[in-house]
Amino acid sequence: MSSLPKSWASGAALALAAAALVASSAFAQGLKSYDSTKKEFWEHPPADWFLGDETQAQKGLAPKAPPATGVPIEEIQATLKNIKLPKGFHISLWASGIPSARQMAWGDKGTLFVGAFGVGNVYAVTGPEGSKQVKVVLKGLQMPTGVAFRGGALYVADIDKILKWDNAEANVDNLGEGKVVYGDMPSYPAHGWKYLVFDKHGWLYVPLGPPCNECLPPTSVSQIRRVNPENGNAEIVALGVRNSVGGDVDPRTGDYWFSENARDWLADNGPSDKLNHITRMGQHFGYPYCHQGNLPDPKYAMGHKCSEFTPPVLNLGAHVAPLGMKFYTGKQFPAAYQNNIFLAEHGSWNRHQYQGARIVRIIVDAKGHQAKQEVFASGWIKGAQDFHGRPADVIVAKDGSLLVADDWAGAIYQISYKK
Amino acid sequence: MAALSGAVASAADPAAGKAKFEPCLACHASGAAPQGEVAPLLEGQPDNFIQWQLVYFRTETRLDPAMTPISKLLSDADIRDIGAYLASLPPPHAVQATDERPDLTEAGEQLARANRCASCHLDGFVGRDAVPRLAAQREAYLLKSLRDFKSGKRRGGGMAAMPDAVYPLSDTGLQALAHYLARLQ
Repeated sequence: MSSLPKSWASGAALALAAAALVASSAFAQGLKSYDSTKKEFWEHPPADWFLGDETQAQKGLAPKAPPATGVPIEEIQATLKNIKLPKGFHISLWASGIPSARQMAWGDKGTLFVGAFGVGNVYAVTGPEGSKQVKVVLKGLQMPTGVAFRGGALYVADIDKILKWDNAEANVDNLGEGKVVYGDMPSYPAHGWKYLVFDKHGWLYVPLGPPCNECLPPTSVSQIRRVNPENGNAEIVALGVRNSVGGDVDPRTGDYWFSENARDWLADNGPSDKLNHITRMGQHFGYPYCHQGNLPDPKYAMGHKCSEFTPPVLNLGAHVAPLGMKFYTGKQFPAAYQNNIFLAEHGSWNRHQYQGARIVRIIVDAKGHQAKQEVFASGWIKGAQDFHGRPADVIVAKDGSLLVADDWAGAIYQISYKK
Repeated sequence: MAALSGAVASAADPAAGKAKFEPCLACHASGAAPQGEVAPLLEGQPDNFIQWQLVYFRTETRLDPAMTPISKLLSDADIRDIGAYLASLPPPHAVQATDERPDLTEAGEQLARANRCASCHLDGFVGRDAVPRLAAQREAYLLKSLRDFKSGKRRGGGMAAMPDAVYPLSDTGLQALAHYLARLQ
C-alpha cells in the first residue's frame, strides 16, 4: 500500500497531460496494476480492490450502489409491467421496503427471512398474502447476505462466522444474541459475503471467495466448505472457486451445485460466469489458473492447463453475475419445469453494455449432461447501464410459485403460473 | 422507455426537498455558525450519497449525536427529496485564503495519488453515485471523517472501502489529505 506502483510514473505523466488539457481538473489518476498476493492486501484491501489491471477503455467501470431507500412502489409496479415471461406466467410485487435484499430462507411456520448487503440487516417478512409486514430482526452485521433455516433455527453468515438463533420464528420481535456455531473463516471483507445452503443431512454448504479480483489466493479461501453446525466440524468440498454466492442441493441426487462469478477486467465478452456441479470431494474448478473451462489466465495460469480442472456444467455468459439459485420442486409450474434450475442473475458492472439482471431457467440432467439455458424473466436493464431492478435470489414458495429477491428495488416479487 | 425514465426522474421532488432541508442549514450552510464547522457542506453532493448516509443514520449503521435522532424523523420520500435537492445545487467553492501550509497540500495530493482515492471519488474528487464529492469540503469535517474511519467509529458501506483506505495512513497523513481536498476546486 505504501510504496508506489511501478506504473505510477507513466500514470503521473498521463495525469500531467490531462491537467494541461483540463485546467479545472488538475488531478487525474493513472491506471492501476495490482499486487494482490500479500496478506496486507487481503486484510486491508484498497477501496478499489475489485479493480484489476485495468485498461484506459475500462477506467471508470465500477459496481453501482443501489438506491438507498429501494425503489418506490409505483416505479416497481411500472417496471413489473414490462418484465417478459413465458406464456402463462405472471409476476407481481410480493413485499417491498427490504433494501439490499439478498438470500431468502423459509421458516417452518411461513416466515421469510431475508439477508442484506450494504445495510447490514436481516429482515423477517410475515403476514397474509397481499399485506406482508417487513421487520428488521438483526442489524449492524457485516454484509449478512447469506441466511438459512433448519430445525427452528435461523443461521446467518457474518463474513468470518456463522451465527445461530434458536426458535427464531417465535422470537422475531427480539432475537437476542446469536450463538457462533462456526468461526474458522478469514475476516477478509472482499468477496467475504456468503450464501448458505443446508442439505438434508444437516451439512451447511458455505462458499469462501478470494479477497481480490484475480490473485493466487490465501489457502483458506477460494473454496466451498460444508459445516456441521451441531459440532463445528467442517470439510472442504471444492477448490479453485472464485466468488460463489449461490448454490443448491439437487433433490435427485443430493449433490451440491453452485453458481460462480468469473474474474473481471479481461474483456466485455469474457470470461464466462459458470454453473458448476460437485461430483467428487475436493474437485478443483480452475480459479485462478483457468476460467470458463478453457481459458488459461493470462497472468495466473502459472503453467497449468485447463484440462487439469473440473469444467463447468454450463457457461452462463460474461458478466451476467449469477447469484442465488434453486432447483424447482414445486407443483404449480408445468411438469417440464420439475428439477430445472432457476438462477438469479444480478447483472454486470465490469462491462460497457450491461447484461444479466434476469432469471434464467436451466434444464439439465442429474449428471450435469445436456445442459441448456433459456431466459425466463427479463426486462430490468434499460439502455446500456441503467438498472430498474437486480434479481439476487430465488426461492420456491409453498404454493409452488417462485419468489425473487431484488436488492436494487429492495423488493420481493412472486412469479406464478396459470394455464 | 423514455416515459418510464421520466417517471423515475420525477419521483423525487427537489422543491419539496428544499423546504425539508431548511432546518438543516443551521449547521450545513456555507456561512453557518462555528458549531457547524464539523458538519459537511452538502451542496452538489451526489443524490445517492446523501440518501445512503441518511439511511445509515436511520438504521444506526452510522451514529452521530445530531444526525441519528434527526434521521429517524425522515421518511423514504423525505430522503429522496432531500437527495434530489442537494444534488441539483452547484458545489461549494474551495477555501480562498492563502495556503499557509503548501507542504501539507502537496503531501495530501501525493497521498491521494498513492492511495488511489480517485478510483472511487473520481478525478477531480467530484464524487459519483454513493461516493461523496470531496473537493472544497470543509477541512474540519474531512479530518473528522478520516479520523472516524481510522478509529473504527465510522464504518463503510457494503463493500470494503474507507476503513481500509485509511488503514495505512498516519494522523499527519489524514491532516494532509483534509488540507489538500478542502483547497481543491
